[in-house]
Formats: sequence, C-alpha cells, structure tokens
Amino acid sequence: MRVVILAWVLLLSWVLAASAQAPGDLVAQARREGRVVVYGSMESDIFEVVRKIYEGRYGVPVEYWRAPNTRVLDRVLTEVRTGRVGFDVVLTNAAAMNLMKKHGAFARYTSPSYEGFPRNSRDPDGVLSPAYRLTPISILYNTRLLRPQDVPRHVLDLAEPRWRGQVLLADPTVNVIPATWLMGLRRQLQDRWSSFVERLAGNASLVESVLEVAQKVVVGEFPVGVSFIKYVHLFGKEGAPLDYVRLDPVLALPSYVAVGAGAAHPVAARLFVDTLTSRAGLLALAQAGEFVLVPGVYPPIKDAERLRVVVMEEPSEEEFRRAREQFAAVFRRR
Amino acid sequence: MNVGGAVARGLAVPRLRGRADSTAWIGVGVGVLLGFLTLYPTAMLFYGSLSDAPVGTVGRLTLAHYRAAYTDAATYRLMLNSFVFAAGAAGLSVLLGLVLAWITVRTNAPGRALFELVALAPNVLPPLLVATSWTLVLSPRIGILNLTVFRWLGLPPVNVYSLGGMVFVEGLVLTPLAFLIIAAALRSMDPSLEEAARLAGSGHVDAARRVTVPLVAPAVLAAATLNFVRAIESFDVPAVIALPAGIEVFSTKIFREALAAFPPNHNLAATYAVSQLVIAVILVLVYRRITALSERYATVTGRGYRPNVVDLGPWRYVASAVALGILGLLVVVPFLVLVYVSLVPFYEVPSWEALGRLTLRHYRFLLESDRVARALRVSFSLALGGATVAMVLASLVAYFAVRRRGGLTGLLEALSFVPWAFPGTALAIGLLWAYVQVPLPIYGTVWILLISYVTRFLPYGLRPMTATMVQVHRELEESSRVCGAGFVRTFQRVLLPLLRPGFLAGWAILFTIYVREFSTSVFLYTPRAEPVGPMLYHLWQDAQPGRMAALGVVVSLLCVVVVGLARRWMGEGGRVR
Repeated sequence: MRVVILAWVLLLSWVLAASAQAPGDLVAQARREGRVVVYGSMESDIFEVVRKIYEGRYGVPVEYWRAPNTRVLDRVLTEVRTGRVGFDVVLTNAAAMNLMKKHGAFARYTSPSYEGFPRNSRDPDGVLSPAYRLTPISILYNTRLLRPQDVPRHVLDLAEPRWRGQVLLADPTVNVIPATWLMGLRRQLQDRWSSFVERLAGNASLVESVLEVAQKVVVGEFPVGVSFIKYVHLFGKEGAPLDYVRLDPVLALPSYVAVGAGAAHPVAARLFVDTLTSRAGLLALAQAGEFVLVPGVYPPIKDAERLRVVVMEEPSEEEFRRAREQFAAVFRRR
Repeated sequence: MNVGGAVARGLAVPRLRGRADSTAWIGVGVGVLLGFLTLYPTAMLFYGSLSDAPVGTVGRLTLAHYRAAYTDAATYRLMLNSFVFAAGAAGLSVLLGLVLAWITVRTNAPGRALFELVALAPNVLPPLLVATSWTLVLSPRIGILNLTVFRWLGLPPVNVYSLGGMVFVEGLVLTPLAFLIIAAALRSMDPSLEEAARLAGSGHVDAARRVTVPLVAPAVLAAATLNFVRAIESFDVPAVIALPAGIEVFSTKIFREALAAFPPNHNLAATYAVSQLVIAVILVLVYRRITALSERYATVTGRGYRPNVVDLGPWRYVASAVALGILGLLVVVPFLVLVYVSLVPFYEVPSWEALGRLTLRHYRFLLESDRVARALRVSFSLALGGATVAMVLASLVAYFAVRRRGGLTGLLEALSFVPWAFPGTALAIGLLWAYVQVPLPIYGTVWILLISYVTRFLPYGLRPMTATMVQVHRELEESSRVCGAGFVRTFQRVLLPLLRPGFLAGWAILFTIYVREFSTSVFLYTPRAEPVGPMLYHLWQDAQPGRMAALGVVVSLLCVVVVGLARRWMGEGGRVR
C-alpha cells in the first residue's frame, strides 16, 4: 500500500484563514431551516466544542449522532440507497468518507475555510473537505499497571511472548482503523511484517472500536492497547492512568467532512462545515485533544509537538476486502 | 376466490347470523394483520439472503451468500459456539430456576415472598446492563470478585470473557423465566399424589423421585427448550462479552456483517439470520410438543388446594440463604455495580480513594443532554403506545383463538407462534428488507420500531390474555349481544373490563420490555428516534460507562414505578407474570 508522508513542515505554507463569518442572509436562511443533523465518529465530548461554537455563532441547534465509523457508513449508505436521507453533514475517517462519496452520498461544496489548507490537500472533485484533523495511532498503556521499564518501545515489542493476552486491539477483520494501521506498518516492517502480524494475533484480544480499547486500558482490563493518542488527553483530564508510547514515526488517519447530497438543511450544513474547518473550530478541536492541521498548534498532550506524524493512505474497498480475509485467517482462529 | 368468506364460514356460527358475519370479518382482519406482521418480514428475510443487491435496491436471485456462509469453516465454529452457549445457559437457568422455585413454592423457608421478586428482575434490569456489570465483577484483571474474594481465597481469577463467562451471565439473565415456568408447574401439582406415595410407604426423597420429578419434568424440559431458543437469539450478553472474547455466535455474526463490517453486507447478515430462524423454529416446535405433553401431566382439576409445604426444619434457613444467594446474583450484584459505576468519574476498582471521587456528574449529564431526553421520550412513547396496541391485538387474537373454534383458530394459533421463534436480530434484518422498499414512511421512522416491538413480543401479551379469556364465561358476552350490542361494543364494554387483570399484566410486561429493548432496535432505529436500548450500548461504546450506568439506574427505577402502578391498578389479586 502506498503511504504518503505528510511532514508537518509542509504546513508552514498554511495561510491562516480569517474566521469566516457567514453573511447575514445565509445565517437567516440557516435559522429558517431550523437545525443541522450531523452523523459522525468523532467522540461526543470532542464534538461538543464545535457544537458550542456553531450554536453560539448562528443560533441553529446541532443534532449529533455518534457511532463507530462502520456504523456511520452503514447508516449513510442505507439512507442514500433508499432515498431517505436523514443527515446534513457527515464526518469520519477517510476510507469510510471515500466509500460514501463513491456512492453519491455527498454534494459538492468548497468552504471558504478550505483556503487556509495546503492546495494539495484538497479534494479535486470538490466534495470532501481537506483533512482537517489527523488521528495518530500508538500503543497506549496503563501507567498503574506497567513500570516505566516494562513499557513497550516499538510495535515489534507487542509481538513478544511476554505480551500474550495483554494486548488489546480493535478488530482488524471489520474495523478499518486497525486494519489500516496494520497495513501501514507493512512499509515500516517490510519482510518482518507477516510474522509480526501472526504473533500479534496470538497475543491480542479484540474489541469493536479503538475507543473501547482505550477505555479497557484505562480501567485496567488490559495493560496495553493500540488506539488513538488523543485518548490520553480525553481520559487523562479525568485523572485516568493513561499514557502512550512515542513511536517514531506515528501513523495517523486523516478525517474529512462533507455536506450530504440530499441534505434537508443545506445552508445550515454548509455553515457547519465552515465552522468546523475554520481556525476557531480547529483551535477548539486542538484544545479538546485533536491533532489539527494548523502549524504550531498541538493538543495538550505531552510531547505532541515532537511526534513525527505520518499520514496513512487509506485502503480502497477491494484492498480492505483482501486485507480482511488475510487478517481473519490469523485473528479469528477461535 | 373469497378467502375471507371461506375462512369466515369456518367459524362457529353464533346465534345472530348478521352479526356473525361482521364478527367473522373482524376475525379475518385480525388474521390478515397478524399474517402480515409475521410472514412479510419472514419472506423478505429469505429474499434478502437470496438477493445479490444491497438493502434498498432490487437485485437478482442468487445462492452466493449461502455458498459463502456454508463453505466458510468459521460458520460451523459459530454454530458450535452458539449451541454450547445456548445449551449451557439454558441448563444453568433451569438449575437455578428449579432450586429457587422449589424453595419458594414447596418449602417453609422464610422470606419466600421476597424470592418471588425474582420474577420482576428481568423487567427492570436490561440484560445489556447485567452483562456489563458482570464484566466489571469478573474481568480477570479488574473484576471486583477476582480482586477480593478469589484473591483472598488464593483461587485463580475467573475470566468472564470466555464461553463459560457468557454461559454464566446468560444463564442468570434467563433464570427468571425458568423460575416462572417451573414454579407454575409446582403450584399446580395435586398434593394427594405425593400423599398417596407417602401413605404407600415412600419417604420424602422417594416420593419426590417417583411422583414430583416426573410431574415437573415436562415443565423443566419446556423451560430448558424455551431458554435455549432465547439464548440462541440473545444479542445483549454476546454484544458485551462475546465480541471482546473473540467468540462468534449467530447474533454477533449478524451484527458484525450488517452493522460493524467495512463495508456492511446485509445479504450475508440475512443468510445467517435465516439459519438462526430455522434453528429457532425447530426448537419452538419441540417446545410446543413438550408443553402439550406437560398439559397431559396436568393434575389441577379445579379443586381449591395448595401444594404441600415441605417442613425443612432448621435447614429452612439454609434454603433461604441459597435463594437469597441466587437473588443476589440475579439482581443485587448487577444493580449495585451499576450504581457504583454511575457515581465514579471513570470506572476503577472500588477503594477508599475511588470512593473519595464520587460524583453526580453522570446524572447531571442525563438532565442536560437533549439526546437522553429524546431517547427517554421515544422509548416511553413506544412503550406506552406499543404495549397498548400489542395488548389490544393480543386480546383480539385471544378472543378468536379461545372463543371461536374453527378454521381461523388454527390459523391464528399458527401465526401467533411465529414471533416466538423469530430471533430479534433475524426479525430486525427481515423488517429492514421488508419496509425499506415500502413507499409508506415506515423505514427510518419510529413506526418500524413500533411494528417490530408489537410483532416480536406479541406472545408475551397473548399468554396472560388467553389465560384470562378462558376464565370469562361466554354468557356475559352473549347477554350483551342479545341486548343488541355489536361485536365492537361488546368487546369494548363487556370483555375488556373483565379482561383487565390479564390486559394489565401483559401491558406491564410489554411496557418494561419495550423501554429497554435493544437487540431489534439497534438494527432499526434512526438517530432522530433513538430509543434507550441502543443509546445505552452507544454510551458504552463511547467509553461512557458512568453515563450508561446512570441512565440504566434511572430507567430501571422508572420501570419499577410503572410495574408497581400496574400491579396496584390490577388490584389485590393481580400478579405480573
């Protein structure tokens, strides 16, 4: 699989867009539409910060339905096929967004906020937003259960016998996030990759989502798990004993947002996309723990600014189908 | 061909010919409605499994999904897992139910009235929350029991994330139903048979072995078969335990293919659902054979008597302790864990330090969240409306099945049997295929949930209505008809008031089931009409166990209030069964 390295330094070209305030007639139109319905996989507490900005600016209520990316994908595709579209905006990771785009779920929309993103990050079809946030994946561990000297240093450590039954992973046979991460490691590990995956499968327990992974590591059900680094902040601010391994590089998934093709509230939807991808929206997301594409802006996570983040190119439907079969052979032997 | 007329002719002819026709037509209408509710999703489930196009689009027929499913070795593993899981859970539930029923009905153990509370447990505690609680009690690393009792005793930790763990938790969830069936059989036993055995020289044990056991055996077998079916269709416990344990059973496979896969494959989900349905149908047929057999063993003859109470002497306190222990496993442990989780910022093993962090923030979230308010509104509206609609339909079905012997009776009985066998996940997939192409605004609205609730749980309302209908004498109805009232007026003014205890008993059961329903709703709900069941699951998946537990506690307490009110309304003699 082709992996595109997006160095942070490229983002120096970022031109900070002025915080886009919509003209009054658009706002009035959005208010007449009454609300905006958003489907997404962003955690509810993180989404809350964008909702507050949007509702504060425009006075239009946001209805947010949060589910894992596969559930969002299923819901959107079913609604599109039946012509009963209930969403105005969708936001989730790239693989699911690309598949939905392929099925005609989204309308073309280029937000004024996109001007602030590097030109090469924009969708040539004008449908998806640029990758407004990255979600780096690493090894998360429970600081109460592991002494510093026992913490794994490299992904290959997870395949060692001492981690048997200790590692938690979202199920790569169905969930595109861990599948993409494993496929992304292929380039790094090269000929060691197959045996790594084989041995990791022997050590790992599986759950449905990466969020569940973090939660189970927090409560101590598992000492280590593979999940999003942002959960260190999300759970840590509550006092949860969670930290992450500073892998080099850290693989990350891009996330997009788009306006629904049959949106019942199209103006409110566009204003929402404007808000989310505006500087104010991105800064708020960063404060909530997200890695956003604003130079010099980092989430309040220790060493976040030192990470070398590599964006993974997400697999196509066919690539994922083949990978799923491959992973099923090793991860689902029980 | 006039089918309605043909069926109508099959009805027994009442004295007033003109009215008989209208009554017959109402009977036919009930039959058609029941047929539509049950057979249409069944047919569409088969269609979905045979179509090469995704849900919502028209495709060509193919056997490719069956080939894919049955040439995959994993399918046979999941069948074996499902069988072991269902057999183990059914076996455990029957064992616990039998012990509890015997102590409650046949002994002089103190506190027996309290033990009957167990019958209410499934109505107030959603199985999803029971499963979640047990993962926090028996997780190998953080389980409260593992870290306290087992560690002190020097025993190895128990791993709830295993087939054994699934069997244990599902067994507990199913115990109340086994208790109800077996307790009813024990209550209806003629004590003179045991007395005769003892007069003939048998001791307590021998009389029990020769008389009691054979009389109760059909009920035990019926409870085991029914609970086997319920375990095969169960999704609540597998959703919480099987997925992390890497154990695949039918319901998790259907869920993974339909909702959790990238990309989703509803056709394959429908194929597995068909297999699940076929197994359930076969087992429900077995169950019906067994219950027919147990009716042959019935020893109630209409005489007013109570079964003998066995004097256990000092052992009665041990019996009480055993019953309390079972009650503790069924209700107390899961509920206390829920309350604890709802009061800590994030779950951690209980300690003085953790208790110092107690907070009401999760309850505050419930008050502030629009999504929670909407979910409660949706679920309580569905429960109020759905239970009423289902009970009116159950009353009509019971009326035509009990009162009007004839061709329609058999048809209604056959149709009302279908939902017994319809696993929630399979019904959901069938309904999805059925209503997605209907031009009426059903799919994607709250109506599809209402239809699924009424269809799937109709038998729960039918049972108390049939039992009550049998007790209402035909003369009252005939007097009303002779005085000039038509069927609708007679039904409304005479029969329904007389059927009130059965109606309310069924209504209360359905209300509490609907409020917490999960395994069908999770496939069919829309974000605009998200009920409590899927919301609990999503809060769990959203790493918000505190909020989930708080919502679970509130919903459970609300259900207790509703059941209490219903019991009170039913009057002194009313029992929620």
